[in-house]
Amino acid sequence: MITYAVFFFFAAIAVIFALVVILHRNPVVGALSLVASFFALAVMYVLLEAPFLAALQVIVYAGAIMVLFLFVIMLLNLQRQPEEPTRPIQQFLGYVGSSAFGIGLVYYLSKYAVMELPSGPFLADARAIGVKLFEVYIFPFEAVSILLLAAIVGALVLSGRGVQTS
Amino acid sequence: MAGIDKVDVALSILKIAIVVGALLNVTPIMVWVERRGSALIQDRVGPNRVGPFGLFQSLADAAKFFLKEDIVPAGANKWLYSLAPMFGLIPALTTIAVVPWGRPFRLPSGRLFEPIVADLNVGILLIFALASLSVYGIVTAGWASNNKFSLFGGIRSSAQMISYELALTLSAISVLMAAGSLRLTDVVWKQTGYFVLFDKIKLPAWNVFSPSMWLAFIVFSVAAFAETNRLPFDFAEAEAELVAGYHTEYSSMKFALFFMSEYIAMATISALITTLFLGGWDIPWVNEPATFWGFLASAIVFTIKVSVLMFIFVWVRWTIPRLKYDILMRMGWKVFLPLAFVNILLVAWFIAERWI
Amino acid sequence: MIPTQWFLILSAILFTIGVCGVLTRKNGITIFMSIELMVNAVNLTFLAYARQFHQLHGLIFVFFVMAIAAAEAAVGLAIFISLFHHRETIDVDEANLMRW
Repeated sequence: MITYAVFFFFAAIAVIFALVVILHRNPVVGALSLVASFFALAVMYVLLEAPFLAALQVIVYAGAIMVLFLFVIMLLNLQRQPEEPTRPIQQFLGYVGSSAFGIGLVYYLSKYAVMELPSGPFLADARAIGVKLFEVYIFPFEAVSILLLAAIVGALVLSGRGVQTS
Repeated sequence: MAGIDKVDVALSILKIAIVVGALLNVTPIMVWVERRGSALIQDRVGPNRVGPFGLFQSLADAAKFFLKEDIVPAGANKWLYSLAPMFGLIPALTTIAVVPWGRPFRLPSGRLFEPIVADLNVGILLIFALASLSVYGIVTAGWASNNKFSLFGGIRSSAQMISYELALTLSAISVLMAAGSLRLTDVVWKQTGYFVLFDKIKLPAWNVFSPSMWLAFIVFSVAAFAETNRLPFDFAEAEAELVAGYHTEYSSMKFALFFMSEYIAMATISALITTLFLGGWDIPWVNEPATFWGFLASAIVFTIKVSVLMFIFVWVRWTIPRLKYDILMRMGWKVFLPLAFVNILLVAWFIAERWI
Repeated sequence: MIPTQWFLILSAILFTIGVCGVLTRKNGITIFMSIELMVNAVNLTFLAYARQFHQLHGLIFVFFVMAIAAAEAAVGLAIFISLFHHRETIDVDEANLMRW
């Protein structure tokens, strides 16, 4: 009973703040609403019996990536430039097209994606994830670390600080 | 969820009341300690007019905060300006939910009373998650004040906080590796044994006494100073340099909220250092029984440990000069992060050799 | 216990909102935030199915998606910063040097 109430409350929060992200003019308000939306999604992950990933969602997405977004918005002073509204034809096609896509998706999901509830508990704690990560998925793990290194080097070069000319 | 009945709910509410009540009372006490302690270190007297030894100074300060005019600067984003102090306070108050503050004991009805508000399986990750959220209070306060000094203070402070969060997290990982679990109750239970040196000296098995975790203790403590924006890392509120940094434009109750959230964050991180390194609620050299008196004694010992750490926070603030910002950032990335990594390797080696 | 279908529908709604944001906004940062919203909706789908079929592969995949999204955010924002330095605007319609 309480589970359903929690689900609906946080699902509503996620959807409402996602709408604020795409509809509000000010990108700072959009970034903070996205943080709230990620937080609500972390609660969803807890409801899906993956508390480790819920904590990771808050640490990585809401705590690091969005801080990066906020830094960039604030340092570039982007909220001072009023964004011109998009051309009406683009707005119309965008809203209509995505609504059609969304309605179709929700309709087909509610009609065909009916599944029975899973039985038994789902052991998704840190130990199980760690075992899988270091035994089965060790190669993607190392590859992702190289990818992160590439991203760091790329970001440094693009911001103009990594290249030293003697 | 199996069998949560009314008594469980009532006990949870009692636990929350105790913990939140204790945390909210930290601020007045720490204000007094800070002002008398700094006076002691600086060889002066400090406040001694309001009540004996100036003990009621905090009441006078609270009354002042209530009665001051609440200003919102022109051109500031009103919503975010008012929300920013809350972003700082909420992580500070909720992180204490996963810290165990006493020994679990059996009530007369046979029910086990665990003095921890929420014994999560991923306990310490909640603390890291909420620590990353506390950056938002500062960044939002700095931006919403429509003031260049506040913005610079906010950006600098949040850059410092996210840099030292890495060192904090990695040094805590070595403790968790040794304990084998992410729950803080398991971390404390692991520290309730004894190390026997030379077959004669019995040391309590606290993590601070184990040579593989000395580096982690140092790195965690330094990162704790950086996370709570206390000297020597308080560039965000550097008086005489940035006016007052990110809370320049705040007055009366909103400033009081920032003030409170700093002291409460200090208390929470001291509680965390105690739990991870100093044995939590473990009374040294005594096997606490699982009764109410054992619980009370362990809760008192926990409070004493946290208080000692908080006095050390005050002591360091008035002793060591402020670090320059680029030195601070350089140290965070080039010194403390590698030390935290070295400590992880050290603990891994100890675990492989079965010395832990 | 909440039926998996509800999580899938929530994920579909969030994904649609993300698509709408990408198609109708001109501010580059907002478009990027809508892309992050879409990625998170997909994460939710992965976790819903992982719980449904009791497999940990979904969780590991979400783990990697988070790491990659972090890398992508860093590089993407660096690109935006250099775009801003060249053009003084973050409007994606202005980045049109290759227009025919």
